[in-house]
Amino acid sequence: MTPFRTSYWHIEPVWVFYLLAAVAVVVFLFGLFAHVSVWVRGIRRQTLPFSWRGISNLFLDGFLGRRIFKGDIAAGTMHLLILWGFLGLFVGTVLISVDYWVYHFLKGAFYIWYSAGLEILGLMLTAGLIWSLIRRYLQRVPRLERRFEDLAVVVFLLLVVLSGFAVEGLRLAAQRQEWARWSFVGHWLSLLWVHPQGALAAYPYLWWVHAFLSLGLIAFIPYCKLFHILAAPTSIYLENQPPQAIPVETRSPDDEVFSYRDMIFFDACTRCGRCVEVCPSTGAGEPFSPRDFIVWARENLLRKYHPLNYFTWLTRWANHRHTSEQGFDPQKIWHCTTCRACLDVCPVYVATQDAIRQARSKIIEEGIQVPSLLTQTLKNLYKYDNPWEATKKKRAQWSQDLEIPDFSETEEAEGLCYFVGCTTSMDIRAQKLARSFAWILKHVQIPFGTLGKREPCCGDIARRAGEDGLFEKQMEDCVELFDRYRIREVVTSSPHCFNTLQNEYPAFQALKPPEEQANFQVRHYTQLLRELVKVGSLWFENPLHVTVTYHDPCYLGRYNQVFDAPREVITAIPGVTLVEMAHNRANSLCCGGGGDRVWQENLDADVKMAEIRIREAEATGAEILITACPLCLIMLEDARKTTSLEHTLQVMDLNEFVQMALSLEHIPGEQSVRRR
Amino acid sequence: MNIVVCVKQVPEVTDAELEINREGTEILKEDLEFDINEWDNYAVEEAVLIKEAHGGKVTVVTLGDEDCEDVLRTALAMGADEAIRIDEQGFEFSDAAGIAQGLYHAVRDVPFDLLLTGAQGSDDGWAQVGLTLAELLGISYASLVVGVEIGEGTITVHRELESNTQEKVEMPLPAALTIQTGINNPRYVSIMGIQKVRRIEIKETGSKELGLSEAEIGSQGSSVASQKLSLPPVGEGAEILTGSLDEICEKTAQIIRDKGGVM
Repeated sequence: MTPFRTSYWHIEPVWVFYLLAAVAVVVFLFGLFAHVSVWVRGIRRQTLPFSWRGISNLFLDGFLGRRIFKGDIAAGTMHLLILWGFLGLFVGTVLISVDYWVYHFLKGAFYIWYSAGLEILGLMLTAGLIWSLIRRYLQRVPRLERRFEDLAVVVFLLLVVLSGFAVEGLRLAAQRQEWARWSFVGHWLSLLWVHPQGALAAYPYLWWVHAFLSLGLIAFIPYCKLFHILAAPTSIYLENQPPQAIPVETRSPDDEVFSYRDMIFFDACTRCGRCVEVCPSTGAGEPFSPRDFIVWARENLLRKYHPLNYFTWLTRWANHRHTSEQGFDPQKIWHCTTCRACLDVCPVYVATQDAIRQARSKIIEEGIQVPSLLTQTLKNLYKYDNPWEATKKKRAQWSQDLEIPDFSETEEAEGLCYFVGCTTSMDIRAQKLARSFAWILKHVQIPFGTLGKREPCCGDIARRAGEDGLFEKQMEDCVELFDRYRIREVVTSSPHCFNTLQNEYPAFQALKPPEEQANFQVRHYTQLLRELVKVGSLWFENPLHVTVTYHDPCYLGRYNQVFDAPREVITAIPGVTLVEMAHNRANSLCCGGGGDRVWQENLDADVKMAEIRIREAEATGAEILITACPLCLIMLEDARKTTSLEHTLQVMDLNEFVQMALSLEHIPGEQSVRRR
Repeated sequence: MNIVVCVKQVPEVTDAELEINREGTEILKEDLEFDINEWDNYAVEEAVLIKEAHGGKVTVVTLGDEDCEDVLRTALAMGADEAIRIDEQGFEFSDAAGIAQGLYHAVRDVPFDLLLTGAQGSDDGWAQVGLTLAELLGISYASLVVGVEIGEGTITVHRELESNTQEKVEMPLPAALTIQTGINNPRYVSIMGIQKVRRIEIKETGSKELGLSEAEIGSQGSSVASQKLSLPPVGEGAEILTGSLDEICEKTAQIIRDKGGVM
């Protein structure tokens, strides 16, 4: 006899099932509608062209779970078991419908394979779900929360799959078909039933239980974190869309602060907590975590734009319930250093630092809850074009005795424009790095100049604070100045300036007619130094026997993937041993200065981020901690003093280190070296 | 509760190296940055806070050239509703009484319950305009106010006195108050905020429109005249310590001890 499958075997009346299915689909669609009605409120200023890269990400990150495996193979395997089990069973169910309604093909050898395959998928799903419970409740993986929803979702899924096996077992016990052993789990379960009559009597009841649970699960999806089944792929697909510029001028007061992508990102979040593990602010014991912010933002948005808001009493009840819950304190968004570590580990690419910036812009616009020191900083930026409350005149003082050409006093700039940056120009410690860089450029005889006291702030500080009006003004000033002096090649001290010029300007420039767009290239100085080493202009005669470690600045490393350039420069110096800290490269730990934290009050923390970092450097046994960012330099230099490491560890900018290596004198017959 | 706030644009001097012209009549202003007078900023914030709590309208007034519109725009962005600028022409070299005359003529027809000014200006530092204005208006006034409670037809204000003491005064309305810094936390004014109020029209007036004669304002109407401006001479008392780091630290500690720095 050819194996085959009977649908709705002993099930009556079937129309009840279809009615329930219709109800489930309506409930599901309403939930989906609620989410989409939030998404459409987000700012969208871009068209969405079809993207192959998006599709390939969808396959790699979605179907293969690439980013879930990253750093946590157990989680990746567990998720894959659940994902493939779930998807496979879903496809299997769809095939049954096709078999029943369209074309009867579930028969013969194919049906045998189909049955066995579904058994395996069911086992995978079961194993994945049980594993997830073990991880959360027995292993108690620290990053996982244990909310009611977390338990409910897994138990629900588990009930569906177990009831499915049970129904199958009953059916097989009643049917006693010869091909049943291929449905090996169901077959094994069927052996528990000695009397086919008993199994047949119980079968319909359990069938309805399974049907009810399965349909309930579908209806439940948009109302719990299972919604990531839909939102995460959308988020992953959108990940590689270019950033969108939303000029202040084009914003209306009714505009939501978040973009449509942020809102989809929020919905994709499953609170997995990888961001919490890597967040330097959380790590320092500060009352902030990216996950709390995202959950807060998501809940707020859903409540604000929920279609049921049509019924005001429901809104009132929801608001009352929420306020009694005590959610995330919006003031905490100033804790974020925008270090991007959370995005780097997020399986669904939630760009918390962008969302934080947009949330800040709302607070800045209202003006009432801006931290007072930041208020002062922003006022200084507006008045003096730098955050350090110093007049513009002082900007060029670091170079007074260095005879560096001032491009703003020439007709046309010749050579490289060194964009010094506010902090490097004004801060006494950071000025040394500018002097070293100028020294190196002279040493290799590269013609360069600066914009002297006319150099404006690039707008990074305003941008991080969400003061977008000021950012746009400063961007225009900068572009206009580059254009006026025909500056084509820019090199920056600060990774922050570099990132702003390189990654923030283009989206805004693209809105202008082509002839008015900025036309310059920007590099960070580490990239220039590497190039000089490569072409042989920068070479080191004498060995420097010292052990060093390198701190990756967030805006150079994670934001711009410049990991190798500084390391290649360091290792080009003979005698130098480079050792790595526990957190390095993409996994680097923020010094705590980013996201405008340098210009804010010390926020309540157990320990300063920079002190955590300097302890890591100390643990490597290195004598010198090298970095490539003026903010990191200041933060780490301070931390060195507050942790009493002044005698064991030096903090240097890469420029200072290179200058030191170039200034070595070779003493014949001696191994040791000393500074000239 | 309608409130009038008098504000002033002043140069930022905290970090500026001031230079005086050769004649000694004026401070050179080319390299200076201008902003709302700090005390006035608190006064505007206080007015907006009172408005937000009790309703009404806030009108800001300034006396100055066209550039001073920035100060009015800042105040509008903070939440003021109307703005008046009295052109400075004719008011040059006025003393506090002359400025108060100008403001008096501009605000006497504006219906208000409360008039706020900063306690003083950070540039000239007279601390007289608000009080002279109140005298001209013939209303009760209080200076150095660090707290305001609105009552029925009256207000209760807290005045800052010496050595951490305060005076609590009840006054009938309308009243004039000169506001001390620290009374509140002035809100941040973003570029976005300023852009939002760019369409609000600023009422322009001048000494002629206000019917002021040359004898009342300017140098003629002033009883105070500036003789000469000069930078303070560099004082004595600076001492460069020499020696090793430890010696310098020891000497520094000794100096601090001698001067009574450590009790």
